[in-house]
Amino acid sequence: MESDSISHTSPPSASNCKDISRKKRVGTSLSCFHFHFRFLIFFIDVLFFVVDFQRSAKLKQCKLDARREQWLSQSAVKNKVCCKEGTNDGDSKQTQRGERDRSLENFEMRGTAEANGEVENVSVQHESDSESFPPNSHTSSSLLGGMDSGTSFTNSSSSSTSSGGCCSGSITEEEGGDGCLDDWEAVADALAADDDKQELDPNENNKENLCLGSTPGLEPNPQLGSNGEGSDLKNSEPECPRMVQRATGTCRAWRADDTFRPQTLPNLSKQRSFPATDRRFGQGGVSWMRNSAFSVPSSCPICYEDLDFTDSSFLPCLCGFRLCLFCHKRILEEDGRCPGCRKPYENDPVEAEASVQGGSLTTRLLARSCSMIARS
Amino acid sequence: MATVNGYQGNTPVATSPGPKHPAPPAKTADAQSVLKRLQSELMALMMGGDSGISAFPEEDNIFCWKGTITGSKDTVFEGTEYKLSLSFSNDYPFKPPKVKFETACFHPNVDVFGNICLDILQDKWSSAYDVRTILLSIQSLLGEPNISSPLNTHAAQLWSNQEEYRKMVEKLYKPPNA
Repeated sequence: MESDSISHTSPPSASNCKDISRKKRVGTSLSCFHFHFRFLIFFIDVLFFVVDFQRSAKLKQCKLDARREQWLSQSAVKNKVCCKEGTNDGDSKQTQRGERDRSLENFEMRGTAEANGEVENVSVQHESDSESFPPNSHTSSSLLGGMDSGTSFTNSSSSSTSSGGCCSGSITEEEGGDGCLDDWEAVADALAADDDKQELDPNENNKENLCLGSTPGLEPNPQLGSNGEGSDLKNSEPECPRMVQRATGTCRAWRADDTFRPQTLPNLSKQRSFPATDRRFGQGGVSWMRNSAFSVPSSCPICYEDLDFTDSSFLPCLCGFRLCLFCHKRILEEDGRCPGCRKPYENDPVEAEASVQGGSLTTRLLARSCSMIARS
Repeated sequence: MATVNGYQGNTPVATSPGPKHPAPPAKTADAQSVLKRLQSELMALMMGGDSGISAFPEEDNIFCWKGTITGSKDTVFEGTEYKLSLSFSNDYPFKPPKVKFETACFHPNVDVFGNICLDILQDKWSSAYDVRTILLSIQSLLGEPNISSPLNTHAAQLWSNQEEYRKMVEKLYKPPNA
């Protein structure tokens, strides 16, 4: 406006006429805008009322809010039509809207059974229109509404309810899944506690209960305690109670940070069984007779190197003494006797022959043949 | 050169110019594996908390250990303590270590130089044995000697008379000075 006036100072008469005409135009447009603005304010008030009504439902997720606003925009369009038809009965409109909101909540809170078919059809139309969750609706129709999967969404209320239910299920999947996991873990905890009570003597039972009551961060405590018990070498049978305790310890199903519990459960027990065996060897017992009877050691008892998969699946002697392939080869080169039972290795005929006849001779022959091959 | 350097570099203290027990020349890989095994054994022995036996490497050489054994209860060696030396070769654990009594021990299977006649230290050796089992075996050997193949014939003859034997042990026992 100022720039206009400054630029139009040189021709004053014409500018005045133009300004008047402009003001008139602006005035008419302003009055029109005012009317529209009032209507908008009324509309926004209605919207706020609806939104407040919805906030009372205490819904948390942003997806739900977004979907609700989308639905509201559609319903608002329809309400506009209603406003044009009859503006007198505002109360009845509000009650209608309330009904729709309630039905929407029902639809979103998985309460699809008591919703009437008309509103459900509307919501399902919105679902198909918005296309925000097409895979959910498709999977829902294929999974839940298996019988009428071929029918359209707006056809029957049963298909719409099934799809709606599954949509809401997909939205609240995390919470529902957690709840299921909690229940499952609670049952598992109860079972584990019962097992502990049945299998363990009172001291260890107390320990287990302590551990069950404590936080997951305190979980290694009973293992440390068992280690302390295991250090008592005068104990004639230290293995069996520790094994029982370890088994129940691995069966424990109350770790809070395990979101994919059923998948990781066997892996977890496997991972925890390795340090346990390692600790048994770390006690310096090298009581390999008992260890081999229970489990595969994690490290070679000869060189103390870790056993890889090939080593741990390698059982050279019937006595059950396991060792790594390198140490086995080394022993075959020297006396060829199993360190566990002092009997010569027999399971492999070639190696047994080498050990019986003297490793130097056969290795010399092998070296000769190798050199011959290399020459030719 | 390289093997000697690698060998001595792995010992805890390599400052002394001439160690008492010269390191046997061997391959570096063998020395490494023996080193790992001995370190693991030491850790296990210290964490195990066995009563009556103990062992620790000498200052400058992890291949030479000093061990102590206390006489078991209800034997003629009760209340006595004996020092031993264990010398590991680069073939360990495929070959047994050389174990000797540093403290004089009046025993049928121990000669005046401290040499021990024990089957697991010779032909019955197994690589599954370790320092702990060696010391425990020697401890049990004290109370249960093998009279049939004695190194100390006087002790073997006197073994039948436990009271006289006890007097002889007390008479010849010189507590090891730390």
